[in-house]
Amino acid sequence: MTSIPTPRPVAAAPRRSPGQVLRRLWDSYSFRVLIQSLVTIWAVTTFTFVLIRLMPGNPIQIRIDQLMNRGLTFEEAEQQAANLFDFDPDAPILEQYVDYIGKLARGDLGNSILGGGTPVNSIILEFLPWTLFSVGLGLLLSFLLGTLLGVIIAYRRGGFLDNFITTVSSILYGIPDYVIALLLILVVGVQLQWFQVGQMRGAYNPAIEPGFTLEFIASIFQHAILPVGTYILSTTGSWVLAMKSSTLSTLGEDFITVAKARGLSETRILSAYVGRNALLPLVTRLAISIGFVVSGSVIVEEFFQYPGLGRRLLRAITERDYTTMQGIFLVISISVVAANALSDLLLGWLDPRVRVGKGRGR
Amino acid sequence: MIGVSSVGLVIGLVCGGLALALGIYLKQLRPGITGFIVCTIAGFGCSIIGGLIALFVMAAVIISHAYVDRQDPFTSRAKLEEVDFSETTAQSTMRRLANFGNTVRVSWGALVRNKAGFIGFLGVTFFLAMSAFGPLFIEYEGSAQFSRRVDGARSLFQAPSAEFPLGLDWQGRSVLSHVVYGGRILIVTSIQAGLAATAVAVLFGSLAALMGGWVDGILSALANFILTIPQFPLLLVLASVIQFTDPIQMALLFGFLNWPTLMRAVRAQVLSLRERDYVEAAFALDLGLWHIISREVFPNMVSYIAVNLIFTVRTALYGLVALVVLGIVPLQEPDWGVMIFMGRSQGALFSQEAIWMMLGPILAIALFQLSLVLFSRSLEEVFNPRLRSGL
Repeated sequence: MTSIPTPRPVAAAPRRSPGQVLRRLWDSYSFRVLIQSLVTIWAVTTFTFVLIRLMPGNPIQIRIDQLMNRGLTFEEAEQQAANLFDFDPDAPILEQYVDYIGKLARGDLGNSILGGGTPVNSIILEFLPWTLFSVGLGLLLSFLLGTLLGVIIAYRRGGFLDNFITTVSSILYGIPDYVIALLLILVVGVQLQWFQVGQMRGAYNPAIEPGFTLEFIASIFQHAILPVGTYILSTTGSWVLAMKSSTLSTLGEDFITVAKARGLSETRILSAYVGRNALLPLVTRLAISIGFVVSGSVIVEEFFQYPGLGRRLLRAITERDYTTMQGIFLVISISVVAANALSDLLLGWLDPRVRVGKGRGR
Repeated sequence: MIGVSSVGLVIGLVCGGLALALGIYLKQLRPGITGFIVCTIAGFGCSIIGGLIALFVMAAVIISHAYVDRQDPFTSRAKLEEVDFSETTAQSTMRRLANFGNTVRVSWGALVRNKAGFIGFLGVTFFLAMSAFGPLFIEYEGSAQFSRRVDGARSLFQAPSAEFPLGLDWQGRSVLSHVVYGGRILIVTSIQAGLAATAVAVLFGSLAALMGGWVDGILSALANFILTIPQFPLLLVLASVIQFTDPIQMALLFGFLNWPTLMRAVRAQVLSLRERDYVEAAFALDLGLWHIISREVFPNMVSYIAVNLIFTVRTALYGLVALVVLGIVPLQEPDWGVMIFMGRSQGALFSQEAIWMMLGPILAIALFQLSLVLFSRSLEEVFNPRLRSGL
């Protein structure tokens, strides 16, 4: 249990030294979360920089070798490679690094090595919405479904429904998401013929004019149903199990007994006392879950031929299109880091104990 | 690590014989026979490592059956003044072995009582045994078998039959043989990854907690960093730049990516220990650091470490298969991932007759992962005495 420290007197001293201001800032939970995320993002960018430029057998070196094999001199090859990767090979490494970070800060991810130098930004803008849509929808639905089922079976503990849902959840939790995707294709698509998996590649039916028509929106949902279904099947189990144990431990708390003793109605206890407190630990899991689902989306999108960022990353890797790969990897990492920070802030806002408890002590 | 050999059989028989001899010497025939069987199988399947570990565990179990702690005032009912508490090294070793054997027996009992956990344990054992002993019964089919084409059939695919229980793949090879042979490297690599991650996590966790200061700061920041990056894209990017040729490199990579969760737990545990009543009591009784670590600290961590080990094994298996299925790392048969990759590239996803080629490896992966989950869920109960007594 976290002991709640005695609240410090609200300091209203008119003058504070800069050190004190910094100290107070550091004590602020939100500030620390933000700094931590920024450091992580910086580390990811530096990591990709090192990976692309400094590793033995790095892509630039490989490109130069390839060009030299085509009969170019080393200088020409180096010049071409430098143009492709958009950097100055003669500049000291530190200068290259500053240049790279500066471009990233301005949101410039460079141009694709292949395909006539399309800006990586436009590639990402083309594919990102579909991943956001499918992953977001899948997570939202599985979270709602999972928490609802979790509360229900926690209230009916030991019954048939509890045993059944817990077993199914454990099984779904145990099976990797791409195995679920394959089984969906094999069983629902190939054997039962409910879906024409082959026709469902892409994000929507190309024959339908894009626009705010009912037909187009229906087509979008129809094409997303298998990836979203996979995300729901693979994550709902963990939500059910987490929500069940969290609800059970909340039900044992003293304040629930007090609420019952006060004669509050069951629905009020459920919504205002049990539900809210049981949901708290799940907020942290939401961030972890986003990372997992985004990781899995690479394979799931590939299997369903769904035009998301994960599938594009895979294509960039198989084509050895390193600038695109770097850009997509950065965008994916930054969004997951941001989601983590957001859920930390949300948890701090919902649960004051987190905000205060981590301030000192650790 | 896994695999039968004639040397392994000899080692297993020697270890089993030793266990049996110990059982007969101590007049504990049934545990002796059990020990003989377990040691022989373990030695045969995993050669020297498996044989020695099994011999150690089973010897402890056999001794625990026969051992009576005459110095324990509670069991011998002797008067406290008459008990001589000084013991020789041999006696104390005996006592510890018997204690360990008791723990094994009690844990085994708890595992058997836990239905889901026992099913998971059986599943894990089945896949390990299949990888180790399967080659004894089933021949590996590496090359295409064109003679198996049924008259009038368009391809070599076949549904399961008595001769080929899991059907035939696109080259007419038995899917069963590939399922049996294809798991070994995956499983061994995953287990190595789990062991590597556990070692790093325990080391870094205790270092961070004990040294504090900037060591703690750097290690915790590194753990946070690895935890936040989405793992599979990172793996893809790494695999695209670094060429992985040896499974050991993959194991080390997965180990490197999976230590942070356990490291944070170890760190928190070590940090909080000084505040626990029972540790303070142990310090107050001056029981010594080694006693405190081995008797008070470790039992509290062991379920967590075991659960995390299994979790890392699962993550590594997931990543290994996924990398192969996507064709990022070099393909090498036999391998469950290669079977799925081939199935996809041979159009098995869109034709009804080819489903059997995919179903074998898919079910193998799903069932193995599921067994690991069920097993790890029960471990908490097996290792935690407080939970154990309740059930």
